[in-house]
Amino acid sequence: MDIKCYIQASAAISPQQSFTGDYTPQLLPLTERNLLRAQEPGYAGFIPPNSLRRMSRLLKMGLTSALQCLRNGNASVPGAIITGTGRGSLQDTEKFLHDIRTYEETALNPTPFIQSTYNSVNGLVALQQQCTDYNNTFVHRGFSFEHALLDSILQIQEGAAQSVLTGGFDEMTVEHHYIKSRIGYWKTALTQPADMLESGTQGTVAGEGSVFFLIGTAPSAVELKGMQMLYKPTPEQLSASLTQFLAQQGVAPEEIDLLVSGRNGDTRFDHFYDVAEKVLPSSVEKIHFKQYCGEYDTAGAFGMWTVTQELLSGRHKTALLYNHFYGEQHTFVLLQA
Amino acid sequence: MEALKLKLKQQIIEALNLQDTKPEDIDDNAPLFGEGLGLDSIDSLELMVLLERSYKIKVEDPREGRKILQSVQTMAEFIMSKQAA
Amino acid sequence: MAERVLITGIGMISAIGNNVEENFRSLRAQRSGIGYSQYVDTIHRNVLPVGEVKCSTAELAEMAGITDATGFTRTTLLGLIAMQEALLSAGIRDAAETPTAFINASTVGGMCDTEKIYFDILDPEKEGTFLQLIDALDCADCTQRIADHTGLTAYVTTISTACSSSANALMYGARLIRAGLVQRAVCGGTEALTRFTINGFNSLKNIDKRHCMPFDNDRNGLNLGEGAAYLVLESESFAQRRKARPMAELSGWCNTNEAFHPTSPSPEGDGAFEAMRKAIAMSGRTLEDVQYINVHGTATLNNDVSEGRALERLFGDNVPSFSSTKPFTGHTLAAAGAIEAIYSVLSINRQMIWPNLNFNARMEELRISPETRLLEESPVQNVVSNSFGFGGNNASLVISKYGY
Repeated sequence: MDIKCYIQASAAISPQQSFTGDYTPQLLPLTERNLLRAQEPGYAGFIPPNSLRRMSRLLKMGLTSALQCLRNGNASVPGAIITGTGRGSLQDTEKFLHDIRTYEETALNPTPFIQSTYNSVNGLVALQQQCTDYNNTFVHRGFSFEHALLDSILQIQEGAAQSVLTGGFDEMTVEHHYIKSRIGYWKTALTQPADMLESGTQGTVAGEGSVFFLIGTAPSAVELKGMQMLYKPTPEQLSASLTQFLAQQGVAPEEIDLLVSGRNGDTRFDHFYDVAEKVLPSSVEKIHFKQYCGEYDTAGAFGMWTVTQELLSGRHKTALLYNHFYGEQHTFVLLQA
Repeated sequence: MEALKLKLKQQIIEALNLQDTKPEDIDDNAPLFGEGLGLDSIDSLELMVLLERSYKIKVEDPREGRKILQSVQTMAEFIMSKQAA
Repeated sequence: MAERVLITGIGMISAIGNNVEENFRSLRAQRSGIGYSQYVDTIHRNVLPVGEVKCSTAELAEMAGITDATGFTRTTLLGLIAMQEALLSAGIRDAAETPTAFINASTVGGMCDTEKIYFDILDPEKEGTFLQLIDALDCADCTQRIADHTGLTAYVTTISTACSSSANALMYGARLIRAGLVQRAVCGGTEALTRFTINGFNSLKNIDKRHCMPFDNDRNGLNLGEGAAYLVLESESFAQRRKARPMAELSGWCNTNEAFHPTSPSPEGDGAFEAMRKAIAMSGRTLEDVQYINVHGTATLNNDVSEGRALERLFGDNVPSFSSTKPFTGHTLAAAGAIEAIYSVLSINRQMIWPNLNFNARMEELRISPETRLLEESPVQNVVSNSFGFGGNNASLVISKYGY
């Protein structure tokens, strides 16, 4: 990259105590279903009551994490707002589908329809912060947050923005959890996050969250060195691409001292993580972040947040994030302290 | 009329999730939009849904809607006139 | 100086034709595609007119050459048909030969088909092939099926910014090319009519029961439409090397957010004004160089006031010919930006300006009115194409005659 990009601030709403205070990842217990629910913060300090009254859960989570990220970065108006979401506000989409049926297409409340639109969080952030510049939303499973990240890097490289608010958010409803269970997304038996990686079964544990970053040119403790996406690679292509990616970044595999990996215990797709790990020295420290946030379209944002926390702690120098979503959308991100 | 207005206020509070507002906080003649309760065009659509579901009154034209939804008083008068018709 | 981005291929399907040539003929014949729906199961079918593609989903599958259409939604098939034409028109036999990005746009993905079986999916007693449609509940499904079918794998993603989605897809693809990440990107959007969307816009009370009347004083809302359109973008050097035929240049673009209201534009059209102004500035052209504006022109009460005011503010007393082509196609949401970008290319290549149908009386808020005649032999070199949407998302593109 011609212009260096730094992570200037971040904020995460996740199943963990990640929003405020010191973060120590916990292997949370599950009792009912394979779903890690996000811990919602109080919204009152972020969103005016007159706006809050209409908002559904994902909109509140998205907007609040975006605002907290700006606060953490002592920023008010970013140069662009770019997000990714795989499903948008599921709660609103479901409500509108049910309303259409219940009221037989008459006298429908418009609010769920409006809020089901994928770019509604972006619009709310822009509205509340009066940010009139570039605004975009990607909606493509494991390439949602990731393309938002690439778009952000491009905005900075083009000189169009000095700082970009970049985020990824998704929620999981009980209804959608059931829907996805019908095509094998989740493990069939209740599986604890502590056991999910070793369970030897298909599927994984669902999750949700909303994570934002302020990415900009002003130097800070964590540099975003580069990223690469691969669509449906073979294991051979994955291995070759990772080797090539590191070479392009001028980083020897031995220099990587942390691998943050999206391994989720799904026996159908975990072999990709084995392939990536083989490119790196066996001694590299590994964090499998989906034990903490569960699997969802934009979990990669929580992965990058995990990398950022680790680099800020001073324990590591050069970290690689590798994540894929059900074997189809694969992404490497290289970050350095 | 008074009973209708009280009921309308309760329904407005519920439909629009006006959590800290009580029926007695809403003046019969106070404007619902802009100043006053601070409602906007999406709220006006929500109130038209309320009229249709609870009073079986369909407002097709948003411009007509704006006149009816000026205040609780105008809403109540409109409902009475429709029910009398 | 960054490379120029050329348009070297176009493909589309809409209510006025199953390919570019048919669309052109309908535009020229001033033949609208608006009417009552044949294929959407809704109580509004005979009340709210739409711009529907005149083929059943089975017929679309046949046109796309798909023999086993299980899992292929109408959204996917519309997209696939437009994509096949776009690649063919660019002279690309094997898209996999060159790393090519595919930037798609969608507002509700496969909802057209998933809404029919949604409650069966929720019923544990029900089993069947309909479960294969579960993945089509999102926007990525149509994109990946089109990508897999045609071999576009370098950068694959989907944008959803409501009505400006495919304009943003074109912009993003062009930027990937200018950044040197790819030399070719196919960009656009696909949208099928759904009960979900028809009821959504109806709940906003902005669908006209008549054929929509953009920029008319008596307008009362939009007509929804469906369709798909893709444009092949290539870097100038790559297009020259492979001796591609440039149809036009994508010379300028801008995306702004109004930050005014979740669904309504500002009355003075601040976002539209900025988007057009900056896109024209980027193109290196002046205001006088613009001969035609394909406006967003949805015929909703708010859009046309806001967009019209933005035109008056930007161009003053010299507003170029402008028209909305939505009375032909309906508002095709995620596909609209790409469909209208192709109409802009056609305007340059055929030297024609498309008429704004259904216009009778100028809006009382405006001094300007749209072009209502078909203008032939009109010297069009630069076209501005506008797409504005929910969430305040505004996008303007400048499409220019190549070489100028």
